Amino acid sequence: MSIETINEQLLRAIGVGVALLDGNSFNFRFHNDTFEEWFGKPEADARLGDVFSELDIDALRKGLKENGGYTGETRFKKKRRTMAVALDFTLTEEGGQEIAVLVCQNITRIRELESMIDSYSMMVERNNRELKREKEQVEKLLLNIMPRAVYEEFKTFGVVTPQLYDPVSVLMLDFVGFTDMVASADPSVTVTELNDIYSAFDRIGEQFGCERIKTIGDAYITVAGLPDPTPDHSKAAANAAIRFIRYLERRNSSHPNQWRCRIGLATGAVVGSVVGIQKYVYDIFGPAVNLATRLQEFSEPMQISVQDEMAATLREHFELANLGSRDIRGFGQKDVWHLLDTAKTMKKAGK
Amino acid sequence: MNEQSLFEKYGGFARISRVVLSFYDTLLDSDDIGPFFDDIDMSRMVDHQTKFIASLLGGPASYTDNQLRQLHSHLPIEDDHFDELKVVLGATLKDHEFTDPDIIAVLQEFEKRRGLIVG
Repeated sequence: MSIETINEQLLRAIGVGVALLDGNSFNFRFHNDTFEEWFGKPEADARLGDVFSELDIDALRKGLKENGGYTGETRFKKKRRTMAVALDFTLTEEGGQEIAVLVCQNITRIRELESMIDSYSMMVERNNRELKREKEQVEKLLLNIMPRAVYEEFKTFGVVTPQLYDPVSVLMLDFVGFTDMVASADPSVTVTELNDIYSAFDRIGEQFGCERIKTIGDAYITVAGLPDPTPDHSKAAANAAIRFIRYLERRNSSHPNQWRCRIGLATGAVVGSVVGIQKYVYDIFGPAVNLATRLQEFSEPMQISVQDEMAATLREHFELANLGSRDIRGFGQKDVWHLLDTAKTMKKAGK
Repeated sequence: MNEQSLFEKYGGFARISRVVLSFYDTLLDSDDIGPFFDDIDMSRMVDHQTKFIASLLGGPASYTDNQLRQLHSHLPIEDDHFDELKVVLGATLKDHEFTDPDIIAVLQEFEKRRGLIVG
């Protein structure tokens, strides 16, 4: 057997498709078995375009002329599998004649893997988006029950150090006749309305720099001066209290259910911390909280009661009416004041 | 804590991709199930298999019941086909050295979806 014969047999047997074409006419001069297996046996006078109808012959000619080579890709169905084959042309010369050598590599697996990676990366991206959304929801929930600064501390260290905030102003609001309302009205309506009102309070509080601490049923507690110290915390709490009442009055004028509240305002110290291990609650404790709760009881419906010390600082900006000295449980005899909505009193006086 | 999914246990995408490719190969060669994929484009088929196997193994994204139902609603898939697919899946997992209890767990997941695929 001659070397040429051995070479030809090797060329026929390899898993790469090989064809030799006339460099000008692109007529087939030779093809190996793998080529025939993939693309069938070309007719005696077949040209390249007859076998690869989608191939851009002009681009191929240009590529061979300018660069001596050209690459492309073709797809065909073999049974039900889509085969992808890379075509690689190179120009060579044999006995004064130009020959285009076509080498075909089976890249089906590579294309399948690429599709799989695409599919997988899309799944992962979607997952990441979902995780991000979930994280944001958790963050939103936690921010609902604790101030942002506390949340940041909690996120970083996993714990929250109890902090003493002194002084702050606490606003304690309680609805009048809430228990009766719950018993007599449709519970879902009551809850929806309560939710609306609390949301409005949150917005108002935010405007004045108050941080809502919690709601217990119909009691709503918000604080000014926490977690960041604010010099005019008492003014902020008083402003919020006045707006809460104005909001309720406006709401009552157009709603069948009448919501009336009592508000207590007190200035003093509180300790803030996350309480509980499984069920996190951010809570505040301390004299200011207790005092605000007691004072609230001195309010008539839609009235705001203020402790003596706080009244002293508010006097400059707000109108206050002295209720006289009262016995405040746990705090002894103290003067109690009513905070008046100046805008309204002025209106009443016809100014 | 969440339990580790089979997808993670068997090496994540790096190894599961091989399971998907073998499964895909066997399906295409099967005379019973193969014809369902005659007119389906390769990338769509690979995409489908990747998501499907990932969802059976608790991987990163799962097909919802509705998606599975919609994908198969136009195909005349019968119980025999489903059973055959189950055999192919079991054998593929076995080839990739899944333990018997894990194979059973995956096939149970698959069985749960019978009603969505056969119809």
